Amino acid sequence: MTGSISVIRVGDLLLVTVPPDPDDPTVGELQEGVLRAMEQYDAKGLVLDISTVETLDSFFARTIAETAQMVGLMGGRTVIAGMRASVAITATQLGLTLGGSLTALDVDRALRLLGRGAQGGAR
Amino acid sequence: MASRTGPLERRKSTAGEVAPVDWEGRKAFVGFTSDDAQLLRDLRPVAEAYAGEVVEEFYRRFLSFPETRAFFADEARLNRVKAMQKQYFLGLTEGEYGEAYLRNRLEIGRVHQRIGLAPRWYMGAYSIYMQLTFPRVLAAFAHDLEKGQRAFLALLKIITLDKELAVTTYIAAGEEIITRQSQEIVEISTPVIQVWNGVVVAPLIGSLDSQRTQQFMERLLERIVETNSPVALVDITGVPTIDTQTAQHLVETITAVRLLGAQVVLTGVRPAIAQTLVHLGIDLSGISTRSSLAAGLRVAFDLLDLRVVAGAAPGARE
Amino acid sequence: MTDLLEGEIGIATESDLVVARKAVRGAADSLGFSVTDVTRIVTAASELTRNIFRYAGTGVMRWHRLERGGSLGLELTFADDGPGIGDIEQAMQAGFSSSGGLGLGLPGAKRLMDEMEIASEVGKGTTVTVRKWRRKA
Repeated sequence: MTGSISVIRVGDLLLVTVPPDPDDPTVGELQEGVLRAMEQYDAKGLVLDISTVETLDSFFARTIAETAQMVGLMGGRTVIAGMRASVAITATQLGLTLGGSLTALDVDRALRLLGRGAQGGAR
Repeated sequence: MASRTGPLERRKSTAGEVAPVDWEGRKAFVGFTSDDAQLLRDLRPVAEAYAGEVVEEFYRRFLSFPETRAFFADEARLNRVKAMQKQYFLGLTEGEYGEAYLRNRLEIGRVHQRIGLAPRWYMGAYSIYMQLTFPRVLAAFAHDLEKGQRAFLALLKIITLDKELAVTTYIAAGEEIITRQSQEIVEISTPVIQVWNGVVVAPLIGSLDSQRTQQFMERLLERIVETNSPVALVDITGVPTIDTQTAQHLVETITAVRLLGAQVVLTGVRPAIAQTLVHLGIDLSGISTRSSLAAGLRVAFDLLDLRVVAGAAPGARE
Repeated sequence: MTDLLEGEIGIATESDLVVARKAVRGAADSLGFSVTDVTRIVTAASELTRNIFRYAGTGVMRWHRLERGGSLGLELTFADDGPGIGDIEQAMQAGFSSSGGLGLGLPGAKRLMDEMEIASEVGKGTTVTVRKWRRKA
């Protein structure tokens, strides 16, 4: 099912909760929606909450990494928040890197990381 | 060939499971042939005639030793076991020695292992059987001693096979204990402890092989998520040596931790370990490392913007 | 209803990916794999399913439970009659991709699983078989 992505505005930041097992069109829609909202709200950053995501394959990871890059070109910073332990282990073994996006343990920490500016956080 | 086994059934069958037995190969080795099967079938009437008294004598022996008597707490149990023993005894001359026989014997072995009957009593019992049956078989074939001898050898072969299967189940049970304990050792030897709000410490002790590192990685990452800790101190003071493989595993763990949104400080990098890492050409430049756990803890506090301040001793109010 | 531990799914479109992942997750879960191993297996299945509709257009995924020497496992087979792989060794190198992807498909799936076999003939098609054994608990 598509149409399940919603981009929420939190101050000058955007928050997107990724559904557990999105199909490819949904993943594509996520990128579109995020970039539109970046433009519309002139947002400073994006938090992608992937805490419910159970499978992160190379296509999905590449879309996330590319989205983060595009958000960067539009002047925002992206934090990937809440990756599950099992997903992180699998992604590492698969050789995924997320293109050096920032990461945070949860949405709360991600928002604080973006809110307090450039320093801190894992790369 | 996918069979439909429910999750519960599976769990039950994995406990004390014996790896597949090369039953035909074992029979061939002791020289158990279809002739032997036929001879045992011929013994059936003899066995039926004597089963009752053989079992009685068998238990007299068992009851005259305190260690084996302990297994028969009351009359009811003794009678039940006697009935089963009679079944076993008659089973020797049943004439069918295929898969069903094998399964039955393995199950009998498992039961004895489970109740804790030591092998010395179990193996001794087979000898008692031989002593009790030998004269009876010879008497039954008094008219044809040559056949009597062959029949006795057939019995000896099948009992030997039974003994082997019993030993197999005991060994399998022992191996299972070893597997379980080494699993427990892995868990005990890689604790992940929360030492401060936001800081976990994982002291690694002993050498790290692939399987152990993988389990360690899972435990570490799960604990980081559970405790919501942005900093993990991985202490390798207790790791005797480091090779390329181990270092690779450590780097992989550190990479995975970053994906979670936390970071690893590698502590306990002793001079010898530092030398090895450089000589092996392992690049840890993107990773913060410290020689001691205490130094690592300071890094953790810095990362969390925490400051340790010397204060007045407790109770020393002005 | 399909048996959780055995089945077959036709792969033709992107939406079959979700169906394939769900089926594999169901099988791996009910075989008692750890959460991380389930994730590894489903991720490998996702990579290999995507390979099918990306390179061959259509194909099938089959799965069934394995048992060997008291160990349980899961076998997945991905078969298509697409163009085939000319140089399997090259395709197994991380970073190699003929579709503009990350090139992690085959080598990545291999790293996530315990065993992998590839049979391919140019012009005839490709069959990839992967297996994962449950770690002795």
